[in-house]
Amino acid sequence: MRAENYEARNHPPSHEFEINFGPNHPGIEGNYALKVRVHGDQVVAARADGGYLHRGFEKLMEQRLWIQNIALVPRICVPDPAPMEVAYSMAVEQLCGLDVPERAQWLRVLQLELSRLAAHLFTFGGHAATTGMYSPMFWGVADRDLLLDLFEELTGGRVYSIYNIPGGVRRDIPEGFLDRISATLDYLDSRLPDYDNLLFTNRVFVTRAKDTGPITQAQALEWGVTGPNLRATGLAFDVRRDDPYLVYDQLEFDIPTEQAGDAWARTLVRRGELQQSVRILRQVVERLPSVEGPIRAPIPNPLAWKVPVGEAYVRIESSKGELGWYVVSDGGEKPYRVHIRGPSSMHAVQVLEHLVTGARIEDVAQIMFSLDACPPEVDR
Amino acid sequence: MSDARLPVERLSIILGEVRDVGVSQRGPRRTRLDVAADALPALLELLKGRAGYVHLSAISCVDWPVDGQFELVYHLWSYELNALVSVHTRIARDPGVYVSVYDIYHPAGFFERDIHEMYGVFFEGAPDMEKFILTEWDGPPPMRKEFDSEAWVNEHFDWQDYRPDWLLELEAQGGGIVTPPDEQRFSRRGITESDDES
Amino acid sequence: MGDIEYKKAGSILNPLKSLSFFTRPAVTEPLEPRRAALRYRGFHLNDWEKCVGCSTCQKVCDNAAITMVRVPSLPEDELQGIRNLRPAIDYGRCCWCALCVDLCPTGSISLSREYVHTCTDDELSSYFVLPDPRGMHNEHFGEGWNKTPENDLIDPRRQAMGELQAEQRIDHFGEIVHGYDKQQAIIEASRCVQCGMCHEACPTHMDAPEYIRAIWQDDLEEAVRQIYNTNPFAHTCGRVCTHRCETACSIGKRGEPIAIRWLKRYAMDAFTPEQVRDIVGTPQVAPSGRRIAIVGSGPAGLTAAYDLARQGHQVTVFEGLDKPGGMPRWGIPEYRLPYERLDADIAVIEAMGVEIRCNTWIGRDISMEQLREDFDAVLLGLGLQLGRSTRIPGADHAAVHKAVEVLRWVTEGRAFKVPRTAVVIGGGNVAMDAARSLARLQRKTFGEVRVTVSALEDFDHFLADPEEVRESDEEGIVILPSRGPQECITEDGRLIGLTTLRVMSIFDDQHRFAPRYDETDRQLHEGEMIVEAIGQMTDTGLLGEELTEALEWSRGRLQVDADGRTSQPWLWAAGDMVHGPDVVHAVADGHRAARSIHRYLTSDAIQEEAS
Repeated sequence: MRAENYEARNHPPSHEFEINFGPNHPGIEGNYALKVRVHGDQVVAARADGGYLHRGFEKLMEQRLWIQNIALVPRICVPDPAPMEVAYSMAVEQLCGLDVPERAQWLRVLQLELSRLAAHLFTFGGHAATTGMYSPMFWGVADRDLLLDLFEELTGGRVYSIYNIPGGVRRDIPEGFLDRISATLDYLDSRLPDYDNLLFTNRVFVTRAKDTGPITQAQALEWGVTGPNLRATGLAFDVRRDDPYLVYDQLEFDIPTEQAGDAWARTLVRRGELQQSVRILRQVVERLPSVEGPIRAPIPNPLAWKVPVGEAYVRIESSKGELGWYVVSDGGEKPYRVHIRGPSSMHAVQVLEHLVTGARIEDVAQIMFSLDACPPEVDR
Repeated sequence: MSDARLPVERLSIILGEVRDVGVSQRGPRRTRLDVAADALPALLELLKGRAGYVHLSAISCVDWPVDGQFELVYHLWSYELNALVSVHTRIARDPGVYVSVYDIYHPAGFFERDIHEMYGVFFEGAPDMEKFILTEWDGPPPMRKEFDSEAWVNEHFDWQDYRPDWLLELEAQGGGIVTPPDEQRFSRRGITESDDES
Repeated sequence: MGDIEYKKAGSILNPLKSLSFFTRPAVTEPLEPRRAALRYRGFHLNDWEKCVGCSTCQKVCDNAAITMVRVPSLPEDELQGIRNLRPAIDYGRCCWCALCVDLCPTGSISLSREYVHTCTDDELSSYFVLPDPRGMHNEHFGEGWNKTPENDLIDPRRQAMGELQAEQRIDHFGEIVHGYDKQQAIIEASRCVQCGMCHEACPTHMDAPEYIRAIWQDDLEEAVRQIYNTNPFAHTCGRVCTHRCETACSIGKRGEPIAIRWLKRYAMDAFTPEQVRDIVGTPQVAPSGRRIAIVGSGPAGLTAAYDLARQGHQVTVFEGLDKPGGMPRWGIPEYRLPYERLDADIAVIEAMGVEIRCNTWIGRDISMEQLREDFDAVLLGLGLQLGRSTRIPGADHAAVHKAVEVLRWVTEGRAFKVPRTAVVIGGGNVAMDAARSLARLQRKTFGEVRVTVSALEDFDHFLADPEEVRESDEEGIVILPSRGPQECITEDGRLIGLTTLRVMSIFDDQHRFAPRYDETDRQLHEGEMIVEAIGQMTDTGLLGEELTEALEWSRGRLQVDADGRTSQPWLWAAGDMVHGPDVVHAVADGHRAARSIHRYLTSDAIQEEAS
């Protein structure tokens, strides 16, 4: 923000002053600003201010052919790009009436769960860092790097895999890939006790996280909280179970929940989800060799492709919550309207403002990270 | 908590209480409702209170300049019924004013604020109509169809003028740049076709 | 989550657990950039031998990162669909999505496993690269993401064209090809990547990308409009054109080219001539008062007539035979080009105000001098109506005919004695036309086909289209390559056949026509009729002695300049007679001559002549 546009809130002389958290702050996930008014070290008011990561994707996507957009969509959520790709492709498939072959669906689940693992590892690290513990952050990023290696091998890109195309996926798994996934999963399983020792059983961390940013069940439903944040209040809702897509209905996995609804509960839910993702991935690795068939349904020449008139609303469970994509086609070569509802649209704005008000200043960053609020999703 | 009967059964009771609702089933868990703009808030109240659609997933705005209307779509999810209802309505593009449903669904606060700055639709009764993303933008609401963002970018920014050695060599031989990127872009098709006569 | 023991304070020795890290390998990455994965999407590589400069990569790039640059040292061949353009990529914009790779029709562009590049602000131009096979820094890191059948987004298969089977088509002259239905046409049209190679290769530079796109949009009126920009012989070319466009098509480099000819047929078949006339419109210009005579109503003459009439001139076409059309009517059999389709093309031309006078022989009914007096300009479109003779012994027998003659009889519907056995000399399309026409007549008359085609060329160098050869073969015609005609054998005055020798070579070292035969391999082919289809020439007798003297000739062919004008300022010539046999070339010629005639008629030169 330019200096001339900054407006301090006017208030009578008091012990209150306003601090701008962000947009460049190690405690903020991405670039985002939170203007907090503090009285001593207590936050009395907060106002979220986004837009620093606004790239205008919804408008850009209206100006590009259906095929060209596959390169844009992963960038909407940086830590967890896979759900964006899958959601776009699924919406186009619904509009075109394309049947995605089974093998492609399994490969998509593979990509989504690996991405979920990578995102959660990132979030643990971030959450720990906001409490002053940096080692788990280094560990999280380093372990996530192994998953990025897997993405590189499968898709050719480490973070923005651009792996999905309407109809299926672009490439099949390389030789020996399933063994490498298994080896990485074994490694992650072996690391979990380390994380427990350093982070999850750490008295300091637990004390910091407990009772911080609590949400009750009623508040969660009222505020539109979804994902691990909702499950931390005791409600076992998961899009993969409630509104199944791809082959999740053939997979066995639990939905971890907690009751307290505070930052600690949310972290525990994510820890549980990490274990469940590993479990899902092991099932995928076992099942994939026996699923035969093509990896994508045929589409017309992408330079001469009109998608029939219609609209589709696709919901996906990303690592952060319910991801909603509304795509409208007017029968043309380009999308007519694409509306992306990131889970952080709720978490990073209204929920964050509610929770931060009344918290202590040292917990502001922790609350944001424990909500896993992702600014690129909010700003698009 | 209300008991979980089939969505269609439940909906049909509710819909009988609101006039002129168009219903179409779009999939096993997707229903589309079309309702007049003045009947929508009442419908939302019923859907939330009696049909169990407690979660507002999103409010989407679609610009239909040919019809002179904005289409507002309210996507509601029921955790009990595991079904999504998309309630569609149309409002006139000019003046582009509607009523806020913040009192019914709290998440509406964010979406209405977003639609306001992107499309210019004013939601009466909304808690906050201040800009969120476009705080330094003083142009027209950019998501409207008449705003040509690519043209704006071309006006305000320059293409990078690269002069690498290989290009200078080719130019000396009589070659060089023949088709710059902008000439063949499909993104420009249908927008300036009349200007793009080559 | 009861399994986490987080309530306990823990033993004081807990921190000693971290000593175990001394035994474990450190989590680290090497400082040197490591080798990327096998399908990494790194910097671009482009195989300049495969790349044809079609610029499809530029079209699909969603970030406007690709610029097409001309490299003058590279080969350029319009007819083969090769341009000396190559893609240059702006790495400030590229996102390495590899859509360019997936969509490249030739498979030349790929992404490598190289991913490191740094520079200072002064060296920003290094971000603009011209990918070649060597890599961005001339160090080859190996190919990364490339085109495989999995990610290839180009469908190489063409929509199959239905046609009658041999048994169904052999005893009549009905059209063989069914034509595309709407779904097939739209799918086939959607395969086009709009590269424009077809437009450049076409002798008359048809707006093929535009009409293909119009067909894809299901806007057939627009398609017809685009077709008529350059070609009023649209029905004809849509059926019998030699489709240079398809040879140049980018998709054809690795797959089957777009069926550009069949798509033209599809668009034209959707309209009556009256509707086509309404689409292209009748001329709205004031009459110029100039009169033009065109001798010959073939594609060259009538195309020029179309153009000139639309420019307000009064055009009269003189045709010696009793119906217009030239070779498309009198030479091309009906099963390839139904007469009603040719009539439709001609009807649109006549609707422009062109007068066609049939049964009027210039040189006999009207002299060239008369034309010169009565008209402001004269265009000769005489075609190649005379067949050449092999002049082998016996070739003057009554039962030995030229192919053009036999084909004319078939078109007229003249009743002639259908030979029970026949031999056709020659290996070009005309020979196939003659053979297949005789085969049909034989099948109708006798119930069986006994036609032999004897050609000098071997199958690798056969002059006829492969489809013609295949279809002839299906129809039961015996095609013998590498045979040279020797003598037409008679017995009791009746023609009984042709003797041939095996050809050992056709051309000598200086590429002159000097066939050498194997005297030991002699065959007699049965034939009550022998048809010579070895070439054609123009019947220039109508010009008269004086005019013939005044004009310039080279090896028997009338000489014209680049505009089609002869050495006589009032006389032009176009089409087969000056540029060899091909319908679409004749159309292009007609346009060229018309432009030149129009310039002359509206120039000062003609004002002076009048005064």
